[in-house]
Amino acid sequence: MSRLPVVRLARQFSSSATRALATPVGQKPVLNKEFKIYRWNPDEPAKKPTLQSYTIDLNQTGPMVLDALIKIKNEVDPTLTFRRSCREGICGSCAMNIDGQNTLACLCRIDRNAGKDSKIYPLPHMYVVKDLVPDLTQFYKQYKSIKPYLQNPNPPADGKEFLQSPEDRKKLDGMYECILCACCSTSCPSYWWNQDEYLGPATLMQAYRWIADSRDSHTAERKEVLQNEMSLFRCHTIFNCSRTCPKGLNPAQAIQRIKLELAAE
Amino acid sequence: MLSTTRALGLGRRSILSARTTARRTVQTQSLPPSKATEILNQQRLLRPSSPHFTIYQPQLTWIPSIVNRATGGALSALLYGFSLAYLVAPGTFDSVHVVEFVAGLPDAVKYAGKALLAAPFAFHGLNGIRHLLWDMGKFMSIKGVYQTGYTVIAGTAVGTVVLVLL
Amino acid sequence: MASLLATSRHALARRSPIFAKSLVSARFATTQSDALYVPGGPIYKGTVNDPTDFPTPSRMHGSHHWSFERLLSASLIPLTGAAFATSPSVHPVLDGLLGVSLIVHSHMGFDAMLVDYLHPRKFPVLGHVATWTLRSATVGVLVGVYQFNTNDIGLTELITKVWSA
Repeated sequence: MSRLPVVRLARQFSSSATRALATPVGQKPVLNKEFKIYRWNPDEPAKKPTLQSYTIDLNQTGPMVLDALIKIKNEVDPTLTFRRSCREGICGSCAMNIDGQNTLACLCRIDRNAGKDSKIYPLPHMYVVKDLVPDLTQFYKQYKSIKPYLQNPNPPADGKEFLQSPEDRKKLDGMYECILCACCSTSCPSYWWNQDEYLGPATLMQAYRWIADSRDSHTAERKEVLQNEMSLFRCHTIFNCSRTCPKGLNPAQAIQRIKLELAAE
Repeated sequence: MLSTTRALGLGRRSILSARTTARRTVQTQSLPPSKATEILNQQRLLRPSSPHFTIYQPQLTWIPSIVNRATGGALSALLYGFSLAYLVAPGTFDSVHVVEFVAGLPDAVKYAGKALLAAPFAFHGLNGIRHLLWDMGKFMSIKGVYQTGYTVIAGTAVGTVVLVLL
Repeated sequence: MASLLATSRHALARRSPIFAKSLVSARFATTQSDALYVPGGPIYKGTVNDPTDFPTPSRMHGSHHWSFERLLSASLIPLTGAAFATSPSVHPVLDGLLGVSLIVHSHMGFDAMLVDYLHPRKFPVLGHVATWTLRSATVGVLVGVYQFNTNDIGLTELITKVWSA
């Protein structure tokens, strides 16, 4: 198998990048670390999900958990399934639960304590498509429900663009940066129990991103749809969302502001 | 570079197909497009739900939150239990009998019982204030959450001791 | 949107029976999810491109409920302090007010737990049983506390006495 030229080539593109280094890697000591990864295969649905163990040499691996996952997929087990794309924390694809916290695998450094294993699960309380890939259909449907686009039927007189004062623009900071990776929503216990009706932190912060936008004229409608028991008010200010956000955003604060604005009406 | 790998990938496939004779091992089945949802739904029904609170790291965010609910629930259950008991049997659960019963308990049980009531009360009360501050927009950062969280834990410890010694 | 689809489907059905049959099966394909929909289950309402819908707006269940809960919780702090600082025999109204406030606060807390963990949409039998059990228990508790405060020494006094017993 390894005699095939393609495999040798693939190794060169793999995260280990042995040959690209100036100093010979052979002199680095072996630092084996165990990764326990959640596995479930839809082709064998009757088999219960299991944790599969993989041991790799950290000195032959890039610094991030995503590097380890790619190394395992390339060199150990090509059936391991996970989403990844940009490898720099801007696409949100590799969101997963690493050592008990939701984060992006590409932004999460591997804990170099080789004595402790690292556990990797898919995003919590989600239906699993395969291995580390959760079904995000409901998450996206909810995002669509809050109409995440500018609604203003009266374009400005000059027909060019909606102007906004620097102060009003500043209100959107800390909200527009959201990449919809779903780390926050799937860390939220309220979302675990009621995700069919409760919108969850990511969608609610985007709802507020448009409520707070001075250029949007549908503020009242946007607020009105949240006036019920489930969509917004299942938030109990637990703060798992803000604690886990890999982009350092604060969805809990956005939700608190919606509640206060609804109460002030 | 990418195109090279692609070309090689294709090359690999042709090598493999050259080795094995073109024998089909997979049966295909023709289905109308309308079947798509049905097939997807069948697949969806098989999907397991990923683990949640059993694997999530205990943090100063959700642990105090669930403790707040548990302490409130326990104290309210006591209020409900006593009031309903008094409603059903006012002769048995009147203040004279209750005080008499408590007075007859050994000191160790008294102090333990007091601590068991004082700790949830102190925690729920202080954490309730923390929640009210959040609702007003105060301490809404992660730093604020942790500072107030540790304050509430310390306050609960002090409050419990003070209440028990009262 | 839905009505537009419905009219076009009828129009086509009138034109050609073959069309009608295929359209009905196509329609079945999109509404099949709705038929299999279980709240919280792996099958969702509508297609992947349809947004989720919102419950009917109601401020009583929305912001008014939230504001009332916060105001009540906040008022419990001075109320508890005042009730224990003064003598209940002098201020029976204060004792009664604290009792009612505590019961309503407890009821709202229990109710939030039921909505979170045992909502009738997910537990059609158990959810309703739990909701009505809570409601009747709360009524019973209100009566019990009223009787205890009028016929006996009142909650504040009871706690004070038990604490020093």
